[in-house]
Amino acid sequence: MAASLYAADPPETIRTAEVEGLTLLYHRKSGLTHFLAPPAPQILAALAGGPASASEIASRIAKTFDIESEDPAAAIGARLAELEAAGLVWRT
Amino acid sequence: MTDKSDGIDEESGALPSRRVVLALGAAAASTVVTIRPALAQTAGSVLNCEIPVPAPQAGAGQFIAADGTLVPAGTAGAYPPLARPLKGEEVRAMLNSGRAPAGVDSQAAQAYANYIRRLQAGMSGFTCYASLQMPR
Repeated sequence: MAASLYAADPPETIRTAEVEGLTLLYHRKSGLTHFLAPPAPQILAALAGGPASASEIASRIAKTFDIESEDPAAAIGARLAELEAAGLVWRT
Repeated sequence: MTDKSDGIDEESGALPSRRVVLALGAAAASTVVTIRPALAQTAGSVLNCEIPVPAPQAGAGQFIAADGTLVPAGTAGAYPPLARPLKGEEVRAMLNSGRAPAGVDSQAAQAYANYIRRLQAGMSGFTCYASLQMPR
């Protein structure tokens, strides 16, 4: 079975601010505000490059960060489920 | 991290790349907290959110049956997709009092309302719909 591809709204449709290591994100389309802890903001940033699977997102993040996880794709998958429930990402 | 250096590489004289370690966390950890409209939003911002009918990823161009399901374009008794997304304010009026948005006939509005009631997490417009359900 092919891995799910995830997409997010383009960066210009959100406003973000850094607050004490967390990211405050205002999602214009829904009018909702979210507090995000790492790696959620990094996942959204990775999706700015276009839809991607959990493993592809991990690869994109690894270009900038040293990833600390035994199973990056599984951990990213868990984070994606949260972002999906919040309406910040969806499956294509 | 033992493989990282904070100083200048003495042999090459180049500045080392200082990469940040990103912990992805345990599966059960939570990284997203949503501030609900009742706490953080003015009425105006929620009522100005938008719901496309249908969501592009659900089936652009498909018609909406009376029960809100998506059916192939041209299906008898079904209604065409809306040319513009509905504003939260229009959706609220439609769901609460059955008032059709401007330019939409009342039977089509009922089908669109049923479509919106079927929205699920992850679909465009769901967060807007969920926000409209929140008590304020």
